[in-house]
Amino acid sequence: MATEFDADVIVIGSGAIGSNAAHLLAQRGKSVIILETGEWIPRWKIVENFRSSPRKNNLNDPYPTFPWAMSSFDPDYIENTGNFHYVPYQLLLVGGTTWHWAAATWRFLPNDMKMKSLYGVSNDWPMEYSDLEPWYDLAEYNLGVAGSDTDDQSGHAGAAHPPRSKPYPVTAEGETYYFQRLKDRIGKEGYNFIHEPNGRTNKPYDGRPACSGNNNCMPVCPIGAMYSGDVHARHAQNAGAKIITDATAYNLEKGEGGKIVAVHYRSSKGADVRLTAKAFIVAANGIETPKLLLFSDVANSNDLVGRHLMDHSGISLIFTADEPLWPGRGQVQQGAIFKWRDGDWRGQHSAIKHAPHNNVPNRDVAEMLIKQGVVGPELDEQIRHLSARWVVIESMFETLPRATNRVTLSTTKKDALGIPTLSFNYDLDGDEYVEKARDLCMDDYGNFVRAMGGKVINDKTGWQNHAHVMGTVMMGDDAKTSVTNHEGRTWDHDNLFLATTGLLPSSSVLNPTLAGIALGLRTADIIAKEV
Amino acid sequence: MRKTVFVFSALAFSTVAASSVLAQDAATSALIERGRSVAIASDCMACHRTPEGEGKPFAGGYTISSPLGPIVALNITPSKEFGIGNWSEAQFEAAMRDGVAPRGHLYPAMPYTAYRAMSDDDLHALFVYLQKDVKPVDEAPKAQTNLPFPFNIRLSMAGWNLFFNRATPFDNALAAPAGTERGKYLVDGPAHCGACHTPRNTLMAEDASQYLGGGDLGGWHAPNITSDPVSGIGGWSDAELVTYLKNGNAVGKSQAAGPMAEAVEHSFRHMPDDDLQAIANYLKTVPAIRSEAQTAPAYEHSKAKPAGIGTLDYGIDRSAAAMVNGTSVNGEELYVSACATCHQLNGAGTQDQFYPSLTSNRATGGMTPNNLVMAVVEGVHRKTNDFTVQMPAFKDELSNAQIAAVSNYVLQRFGNASLSVSEADVVELKNGGEVPLLVKATPWLMLGGAIFAALVLVLAAIFFWRRGKRNTLQHA
Repeated sequence: MATEFDADVIVIGSGAIGSNAAHLLAQRGKSVIILETGEWIPRWKIVENFRSSPRKNNLNDPYPTFPWAMSSFDPDYIENTGNFHYVPYQLLLVGGTTWHWAAATWRFLPNDMKMKSLYGVSNDWPMEYSDLEPWYDLAEYNLGVAGSDTDDQSGHAGAAHPPRSKPYPVTAEGETYYFQRLKDRIGKEGYNFIHEPNGRTNKPYDGRPACSGNNNCMPVCPIGAMYSGDVHARHAQNAGAKIITDATAYNLEKGEGGKIVAVHYRSSKGADVRLTAKAFIVAANGIETPKLLLFSDVANSNDLVGRHLMDHSGISLIFTADEPLWPGRGQVQQGAIFKWRDGDWRGQHSAIKHAPHNNVPNRDVAEMLIKQGVVGPELDEQIRHLSARWVVIESMFETLPRATNRVTLSTTKKDALGIPTLSFNYDLDGDEYVEKARDLCMDDYGNFVRAMGGKVINDKTGWQNHAHVMGTVMMGDDAKTSVTNHEGRTWDHDNLFLATTGLLPSSSVLNPTLAGIALGLRTADIIAKEV
Repeated sequence: MRKTVFVFSALAFSTVAASSVLAQDAATSALIERGRSVAIASDCMACHRTPEGEGKPFAGGYTISSPLGPIVALNITPSKEFGIGNWSEAQFEAAMRDGVAPRGHLYPAMPYTAYRAMSDDDLHALFVYLQKDVKPVDEAPKAQTNLPFPFNIRLSMAGWNLFFNRATPFDNALAAPAGTERGKYLVDGPAHCGACHTPRNTLMAEDASQYLGGGDLGGWHAPNITSDPVSGIGGWSDAELVTYLKNGNAVGKSQAAGPMAEAVEHSFRHMPDDDLQAIANYLKTVPAIRSEAQTAPAYEHSKAKPAGIGTLDYGIDRSAAAMVNGTSVNGEELYVSACATCHQLNGAGTQDQFYPSLTSNRATGGMTPNNLVMAVVEGVHRKTNDFTVQMPAFKDELSNAQIAAVSNYVLQRFGNASLSVSEADVVELKNGGEVPLLVKATPWLMLGGAIFAALVLVLAAIFFWRRGKRNTLQHA
């Protein structure tokens, strides 16, 4: 069934990062094959899967799980050995995990890339902010990012920062009433509210309609206003790239001189295919990328693949305000509250990003009330009352790279294709860097609740992860302490490149996908000049 | 003293000179402004622009899908090498009125049969505007017109022109503002409404007996815009007509998509209200044409027959194999998940009609499903003065059979239930609609190729004789 192709470049993974890189290469006239474990699923079908889902709060539930392409919620796929139950949320279909992100597209600050030299913790990036800046631009224009050209994203209420050479392609959307009220009242306490740059276009962009506030970014935008990787999978295809679905890469074959000569993939229908190319890009998510490297035994001469897993672990706060705020109108999140964004204290504790969440709260409210035994007309009345006043603040902390926080291959389980499943060890216990930040965060929570005349519903959530996978295939300047150089080129194989948020050697507090796309585009540009 | 006089004279002279330059500048800029508004009314930009993104104004390259094949618009910037920078005004007039450019005959995708009716003054102003105010683009359009034989013989247009290019220039281009005279001038001249809205005869010329009675192009249907209250726009208020031209949206009547959206975007929304009113007034006077089978206007299909909520989500298969299978041809299932987020389960659209109702809608309640199908296939993109409308295209998302299924569901539930769409219809519309007789008959014409060529030569001879005569008369 499957035909064998040779190509200039084979990209493994059709998500936002792989598809953007593949599109750039195809535009430059390179022959490109994209391998994807999952299938094309049309948006309408995912919307139907969501509507018929009995588990509306599970972001992966509208997406299928197969014995050969398992969802992270499949208990047969993920095992955890640490105290924290790590779930990476990745999706296996054309377009990848950006089908159910909320499209927050921040740029890292120049200081985020110099953590070691400025603050003595974490790592420096093997590049300057200015090296990545043009690729951030291209990534933002590919995604149609809406943003403010005047905000100081370092949270110091200064001039526009970080520097940018082009304005945002789409202007920032108007603020929801909910956001305005929180900003008015909490802002007075010395907190900076910053618009969140996002890939939910608010004007028609690249064939996508404007966001109309369906408030369903996670788990699927029903109208395609929110960017997802399938946009550039389609563009790559139209530019000449070939996408092969149901094709799970399981082996990168080593040849002479440290080159990778071929990738082997299996399909659920039994095909086992070997494809050769001049260069390979593994763009298979921060979790599945190290899995492929480990199972192929490549790029891992220093035993760093899969280690230094970082997420934006954090906590959250739910309270009710003393006035109706009408959460749930418009987009699911609009901005961040920055007090602990960047400063000399970063040597001692995590930076913190507080994000007011703007999801329609009725379901959570009803669930809570029913658990409390509220019934009848009282239930209706309380749902109405509380839903109008419901505030959720999710807070993310910067975590440090620790060699013991890692993803490895399971030693006991394999999937239907005979490929080992995943084992995680992720722990924050006793980590003073985040513990100190948690104390500060609790102080902030006290201020937020007081400023809003609020009543706490829950401020003891324990650690939560945000599926912001970083560090697992870290880039760096030194072959001994990193997996790739600044180009995403593995130190061990000069034609094997990685394009994933797993490259990020420090985590900051920002959603990492835009950085991953920018790095992937930069890598694709480097490859285009070589093959 | 003498010296003083001299200085005064010099001053006086330079003042006179300056004011005459100013007067000339003012005259030229007034002319340029008039030319600009003629260019807008003539919708030159819709075609003579680069096709990518916003497009370089007047650079050409946009492809018109004519029934005879793709026709590429030329660069009409004042570029000397690639545009019309070296054209004399007489050459410009020949292109605009006779369909003959310096390098040969134009195809009537360029609506010279309508432009022929433009007044001398408007044509002159347009020439001055294009030559003096438009930025030259020194590059040729990427694509080139390359029609199949025998249509690639441009000279064959000479004979066609003889029969079908017969309008006489108006001399009342500046008739009373907003009046029907002005409206007629705009409709028949620069705005070339008939190019789409008048059906074509077997030789692809506008059929005068069906003036503005509705035509097809590129898969889309340009509706009947005669004064008939059932088949035309007789039941529309003036305000609805003007708003439609301005925004492409007459709530509860129709929304512009496809080529009409382009006309709104590049032309109508930039025109003065008086001119839009003039067009509305004139259209109300156009002799009514009624489609035989039609008994009620499209917008009277106003009652939705929505599906029962209870049936919609019942029994959706949640097995993994079903969750990746997007091939269903159940129109209801497709409508609910692909369309209802915006147009709502009951087809009523949103309260503010930002997402329009599918009931009371010419695309669903008219006598052809073409515009419904094409809106699903290509989406709707329309820039207005207020905002940009974007309905996504579904051609990559849905198969032809699915597009037929969802169109039929919409027709059954919200529109003219007597219409239906087959998979083959969708394929045909995607390919530009029904193939005209002229093209179907081409093999026969080619069989008689020799006779055809001879005919062309004879017609050409007559044509050149006739043109020479007209020029002589004009210059006399």
